[in-house]
Amino acid sequence: MSAPSPAKGDRLSQPIPRLLLIGVDHRSAPISLREKVSYGSEDGVELLGQLRAETGVREAYLLSTCNRTEIYLQLGEEAGVYARAMGLTFLHKAPEIEPEGRFYVKRDEEAARHLLEVASGLHSMVLGEPEILGQVRQAIALAERAESLGPVLRRLLRAATDTGGRARAETEIERGAVSFGYAVVDLARSIFRQLESRGALLLGAGETAQQVARSLREKGMQRLVVANRTRSRAERFQEQFPGTEILDFESRTQALGRCDLVVATTGAEEAVLTAADLTQAMRTRRPGPLLVVDLGVPRNVETQARQIENLFLHDVDTLETLIDRNLRRRREEIPRVQEILGRELAHFASAAGALGTEPLVAQLQKRAEAIRDRELTASLARLPGEHHAEVERLTRSLVKKILHHPSTQLRRGQADVDGDELARLARRLFQLDNE
Amino acid sequence: MAPGLGSNRSKLRDTETVDTILNIAVVLLPLLYLLATVVYGVLFFGSRQGGDGLGPLLLRGTLALHFAYLLLLTLRWNQFPAATVSQALSALAFSVAVVYALVEWRGRERATGFWLLSLAFLFELLSSLLRTPNPPDRDILHSPLFATHVSLGLLGYAAFVVAASYGFLFLRLYHELKRSRFSTFFGKLPPLEVLERMMTGALLAGFVALTGAVVTGAVWAQQVFESRWLADPKIAFTVITWAFYGLALLLHRTRHWQGRQTAMASLAGFAAVLFSLVAINLFFTDMHGFR
Repeated sequence: MSAPSPAKGDRLSQPIPRLLLIGVDHRSAPISLREKVSYGSEDGVELLGQLRAETGVREAYLLSTCNRTEIYLQLGEEAGVYARAMGLTFLHKAPEIEPEGRFYVKRDEEAARHLLEVASGLHSMVLGEPEILGQVRQAIALAERAESLGPVLRRLLRAATDTGGRARAETEIERGAVSFGYAVVDLARSIFRQLESRGALLLGAGETAQQVARSLREKGMQRLVVANRTRSRAERFQEQFPGTEILDFESRTQALGRCDLVVATTGAEEAVLTAADLTQAMRTRRPGPLLVVDLGVPRNVETQARQIENLFLHDVDTLETLIDRNLRRRREEIPRVQEILGRELAHFASAAGALGTEPLVAQLQKRAEAIRDRELTASLARLPGEHHAEVERLTRSLVKKILHHPSTQLRRGQADVDGDELARLARRLFQLDNE
Repeated sequence: MAPGLGSNRSKLRDTETVDTILNIAVVLLPLLYLLATVVYGVLFFGSRQGGDGLGPLLLRGTLALHFAYLLLLTLRWNQFPAATVSQALSALAFSVAVVYALVEWRGRERATGFWLLSLAFLFELLSSLLRTPNPPDRDILHSPLFATHVSLGLLGYAAFVVAASYGFLFLRLYHELKRSRFSTFFGKLPPLEVLERMMTGALLAGFVALTGAVVTGAVWAQQVFESRWLADPKIAFTVITWAFYGLALLLHRTRHWQGRQTAMASLAGFAAVLFSLVAINLFFTDMHGFR
């Protein structure tokens, strides 16, 4: 039976081991602060080592991307940890910053929920963007390198990556293009069977052309032809996208015959492609559709070209409509992502309840085993050899049965009694504090 | 009791059982096609990805039942199940669904299931509504050559139905892309080029099957009716339809027509097929009539 899925705001039936999150992201702080408190792999490992060494910190995880820096700590005792972690992670890098309002602090269930939301792309600058899940995984590798993870955070991170993966597979949170580059790819994919064997002519070599080229290359289109009025700029473009063919701007119409996609991004005042150019090209090129995307303002392609059979002309407005529609759809998917997230969080809570008390259970069993071993050694010396095995089996079974109920109760975390109180009592009852 | 009488009663009981099963199938099949259409519709229009195993499973189950129904119909009346408009429509629905299942099985496309199964449902519903309890015993349906002629004809029609469906989807997407107005269809349908390929592939398959149907029909009719068969309006109409499809394919092949024109031709051809299958068979022909 699947676990219940508590909505945001509902309490989980199982308590979550003590967690502390301190973070800063694109919504709470400007880039000028975020860049100061960001971490690479080397200083990240160092920080995790320092945090792990702090009293009261059992496990630590650091997520540092261009949009956020967050630390997640699993605590034994919280006294003083917040201030020390804040100082180590953030204030020593940006001492002038006033933490109030810039940083967010979340604890226990809220901290766990936040990580799952981050992995699902709900806190990303572009809702549902897929890169964050890879970044969460890279940060796990970093924490493993720093040996700062333990059973609780490992289980939480598994829940986070599972939630991120499921959100992307089972909802449309990352579907549909939300940038010009991918919107061009979406248009091309709705016309052409495969992009790998197609060619694109890029008129202009500026930032927009580069964004489109990046998306096209990422989706497999290798054959790029660039024509720019300033040749040196086209050469810089070529350096960024090796294998690109450079064409004189005056010869641009020659490439229409061997390309299936034309993207115009020049700042020209006049049309750089006329309807007559395109009509002529459609007559002479191999049969098949031609996609022309005009991202210039003022427009680079004569609008009469829309009338040409099998030619599809789109401008900036079309792309913006597409992007708006996709963003709206992504926002509509948030409740479904929250539903998945709630289920994963409940799974985590039920598993983590046991993980948090596992060391205590192990300690209890170890102590009982030590007593059994000591008493057995003394008794066996007085018993005939043929009874040794039977007595060994009997004592082992007794210890196991006596400890079964207390161990189970400790692992469950006892939803009706405070888990920490139960652990404290167990330590006192079984004299575990001295060990 | 005389043994002959017992045997006759047993046969009668068997016949009654078969008729009961056929009666149930007549109600059940349109419902199953409707259910499959709804499931594929939810997959197409809904936002949920994954969890789409139900559609193919339901489709395979429906096809298995439909095949058993047609087989039972053949055995029950001891003739090829094309003695009535109802039977021909049911065979057509089955062929359309089989063609779609093959397309899906080859892994090319699942997004078009809703559209093709809608047509299969429509044909099966019409078949159930037009059903007559006792189809006439037609000698011609016992001839293997005639059965081949009818099978090829139905196969050709099914392929033209599939071509028209892809033609319709092609035109929808083409106009959306042309006008830069994007509906729910955008991003869910296969690319234009794929729709065009599927459409022309189905047109070619339909044309080949119809050619076979015309040739086998002509050979068989010459044997049975000598030259009288040439006066049948259905023959003239079928030859015109065949020539129209042939011309459309030729114009597409020689690049005189592009996807849009071919898609429009596939829709016009579909209208002709419907007219031929229903109106002409019902009202204008004796030789091809279902009476």
